[in-house]
Amino acid sequence: MSTTPATTDTTAAGGHLVDVEHLRKSFGDHEVLRDISFEIRSGSATCIIGPSGSGKTTILRSLNALEIPDSGVVRIGDLTVDFAGITPGRGGRLPRAQREQLAAYRAQSGMVFQSHNLFPHKTVLENVTEGPVIVQGENAAEAAGRARDLLDQVGLSAHVDKYPHQLSGGQQQRVGIARALALRPKLVLFDEPTSALDPELVGDVLGVMKDLAAQGWTMAIVTHELRFAQQVADQVLFIDGGVIVEQGDPRQVIGDPQHERTRTFLRRVMEPI
Amino acid sequence: MTLGLAAPAGAAPAGDVTTAVRQDGIPETLRVGTEGVYSPFSYHDSKGKLTGYDIELMDAVAAKLGVKVEYVETPWDAMFAALEADKFDIVANQVTRNDERAAKYDLSVPYIDTTGVVVVAEGNSTIKSLTDIKGKRAAENLTSNWSDVARDAGAEVVGMEGMTESIEALRQGRVDVVINDKLAISNYLATVKNPGVKIVTETKDVSQSVYAARKGSGYMDEINRTIVELKANGTEKRIYDKYFGAASSEASRWDLIRNNAWPLLVKMVTATIPLTAITFAIGLVAALGVALARMSSNPFVSFLGRAYISAIRGIPLLVLLFLIFFGLPQFGIKLSPWTAAIIGLSANVAGYAAETIRGAILSLPRGQWEAAQTIGMGYGTSLRRIILPQAARVAVPPLSNTLLSLLKDTSLVSTILVVEMFRQAQIAAAPTFEFFTMYALAALYYWVACTILSYFQGRTETRLNRYVTA
Ligand SMILES: Nc1ncnc2c1ncn2[C@@H]1O[C@H](COP(=O)(O)OP(=O)(O)O)[C@@H](O)[C@H]1O
Ligand SMILES: [Mg+2]
Repeated sequence: MSTTPATTDTTAAGGHLVDVEHLRKSFGDHEVLRDISFEIRSGSATCIIGPSGSGKTTILRSLNALEIPDSGVVRIGDLTVDFAGITPGRGGRLPRAQREQLAAYRAQSGMVFQSHNLFPHKTVLENVTEGPVIVQGENAAEAAGRARDLLDQVGLSAHVDKYPHQLSGGQQQRVGIARALALRPKLVLFDEPTSALDPELVGDVLGVMKDLAAQGWTMAIVTHELRFAQQVADQVLFIDGGVIVEQGDPRQVIGDPQHERTRTFLRRVMEPI
Repeated sequence: MTLGLAAPAGAAPAGDVTTAVRQDGIPETLRVGTEGVYSPFSYHDSKGKLTGYDIELMDAVAAKLGVKVEYVETPWDAMFAALEADKFDIVANQVTRNDERAAKYDLSVPYIDTTGVVVVAEGNSTIKSLTDIKGKRAAENLTSNWSDVARDAGAEVVGMEGMTESIEALRQGRVDVVINDKLAISNYLATVKNPGVKIVTETKDVSQSVYAARKGSGYMDEINRTIVELKANGTEKRIYDKYFGAASSEASRWDLIRNNAWPLLVKMVTATIPLTAITFAIGLVAALGVALARMSSNPFVSFLGRAYISAIRGIPLLVLLFLIFFGLPQFGIKLSPWTAAIIGLSANVAGYAAETIRGAILSLPRGQWEAAQTIGMGYGTSLRRIILPQAARVAVPPLSNTLLSLLKDTSLVSTILVVEMFRQAQIAAAPTFEFFTMYALAALYYWVACTILSYFQGRTETRLNRYVTA
C-alpha cells in the first residue's frame, strides 16, 4: 500500500532508528535541554510528556534541525550529526558543508506542527505535493496520485481542491500530517497536534495517528493525551526542567510512575480541578 | 536652485566631442540647446514644429556655416547645467549678456537688443517706475538676468518656471510685479485675449542677446562673423519682422485642446506609460533585493540595505534626477535623458517598495518559513514558492500607491529633457500662453490613467485574496 512507511532499510527490524546522546541547548542563560539521551526503535511510537516549558518542543525541533542544539550527537537512520561541530560562521550563516549536512539530516524526518502551518495560498493537494515535486523532484502526476492516497487515508478525499481556510481545524491538521508523510520520512514528529483543536475534533486526528502507528511508522509525539499515549505508545518520556525524569513502557511511566515529579504532573493533567 | 550650476564651468572632460568636428572647430552637427516653450523665440507651432525667432536665426547661421543643426530642448533652469554637461554645444535662447556669463562661457556678439519692461496688474497704480518695486514681490525665473534686475531694484524675488507662470502669478495677485524681456512681453500681450496686465515702464539697461558655448569652444569667431553678415544682408531683419512686426494670430482655447488632445494622449501611451511600466518593473526587482539585503543576518549587507533606503527616502526625486543627469557627466558618466530617467525613477521605486516588501514578508507567521524548511526547502525556494506569493497579497495595496505616485512622478523627468506627456503639454501651450488649459488637460489624463490603474489594483487584490476569503 502506498501509504505505508519507507522501510527502515539501514536498521534491522527491532533495532534503533534514532539515537540521541547528551543533547544540550540553551537560549541565552536559560538551559532548556540538559543532557538529553534516548533511543527510538524502528516502527515504534514514542510519546513525550511533561509540563509546559520543560523542553519537549525543543527536543522535537532539534530532531528536525529547526533548532540547532549546542552539543550532543543525534543519529537518525544512517545519518549522524555531532552538533558540537555545527557553528555559524561570520555573518551568522552556517558554512555550506554544514548546511548540506543539516539538509540531509532534516530530510530524515517530517514535522507536524501544533498550529499546522499549512500554506494558505495553496490547495490541500498542492500543500501535500509541494515537497515531493519541488524539493524531491518527483513527477507531478505521480506525486498527485500519492497525495490523493494519503489524503484519502486521513479522510480528506472530498477536500483535495479546497484551500486550507475552507477546512475545520481537525481537517487542517490532518492535511498537515499528509504533507509530512508525503516526503516519505523515516521518522514523523508531532508537536501537540491536537492541542489547538476543539475537543470534538481531537478524536479524528488521534485516530489517524493511531492508524499510522499500526502501519509501522516511526513516530515521536509530544502530547497531553495520556489515554492515547497509553494505547499507542511503545515508549513514554517524561521531561521536566530539560531532563528526562522517567522513561519506559506507558504502563509503567503513566500507570505506575516511580518519581514524585511524574506523579505530580500526571495528577495535574488527569484531575485539573 | 539648479544643481549643475554649482559645478565648475567647462567641467565636461576634454576630448568629449560626440560629433565630428570640422577644421575650423565647428561640429558638423551643431547641437543647440533651446527651451522650446519660450514664445516667440523658441516654441512649437500648431503642427508641433519647433520654430521661433531664435530658431530661425540659428537655422540661418548654421546654413551660412554649412553645418547641420540639432536642437536639444531643455528647460531654462537646466540650460547651463546641460551645456556644461555637454548635452549640446551652444545655447540659442535669448541668453542675455552679463559679466558673470562672459567669465564662465564663450559668448557671441549680440544678435538682438532689447530692454526689460516692468509689468504690473491692470488695476495697479502704485508702481510706475523701477524704483517703486522696492520691497515688492517680483515673479522671475531664478536663473534669468531679470531676477537680478528685480533684486537690484530692491524687490523680493519669487522663483517661477517661466514667463507665463510669472504673469499668471501677477494676474492672480500673488506677486506685485514682473520684469521681463520687452519683446517677449509684447508678444504675450498681442497673443492673449485678456492679458489683465500692462507695461508701465522700460528698464534703463539695454540687454543684448547672445549665443553661449562652453569656454574654449574655439568657434565663436566664426559664428560672430556669420551674425554680422546676416544682419548686413537683411536676413535677421526679415526674421525679426516675421515674429515682432505684426500681431500673431490667436488660437482659441478649444482649438488648442482639439489640436493637442490626441498628441498628448499619444505621448501618454508612448512615453509616460512605458516609462512607468519599465521603471516599476525594474524598481520592484531591485526593491526585493534591497528588502532582502536589509533583512540579511550579515550586518554589513543589512547596513547597505538600510543605507540605500535611507538615502532614497531622504533625497527628493527631482534632486536625484538632476544628480544623475547633470551631476554624473562631471565624473565622465554621460547618460541619455531616457536612461537617466529610467535609472532615477527605478532607484526611487526600489527605495520605497523595499520597505513595503520587507513589511509584507515580516508580517507572515514564522511558521510559514519553518514549514517550508521542514519539507526541505532552502532559503531561495521558500522565498519564491511560499513567502513571496503570500507577501504579495499584503503588499499589493501599498505597492499600488507606489505605482500611482510613480505614474505622476514621471512628469518630473520633463526637467531632464525627456519629452513625456507633461513636457508635451508645455510645448503645446507655449505659443498661445494657454498654460492653464494644457496643464488641466494633462491633469485629466493623469487622473484617468490612475483611475484605470486603481481598477486593476482592485481586481488583483480580489484574485490574491481568493485563498483567504471564502
Ligand atoms: N527561541 C527561543 N528563545 C528563547 N527561549 C526559548 C525559545 N524557544 C523556547 N524557549 C524556552 O525554552 C523553554 C522550553 O521551551 P519548549 O521546548 O517550547 O517547551 P515545551 O514544548 O515543553 O512547552 C521555555 O522556557 C521557552 O520559553
Ligand atoms: Mg511545546
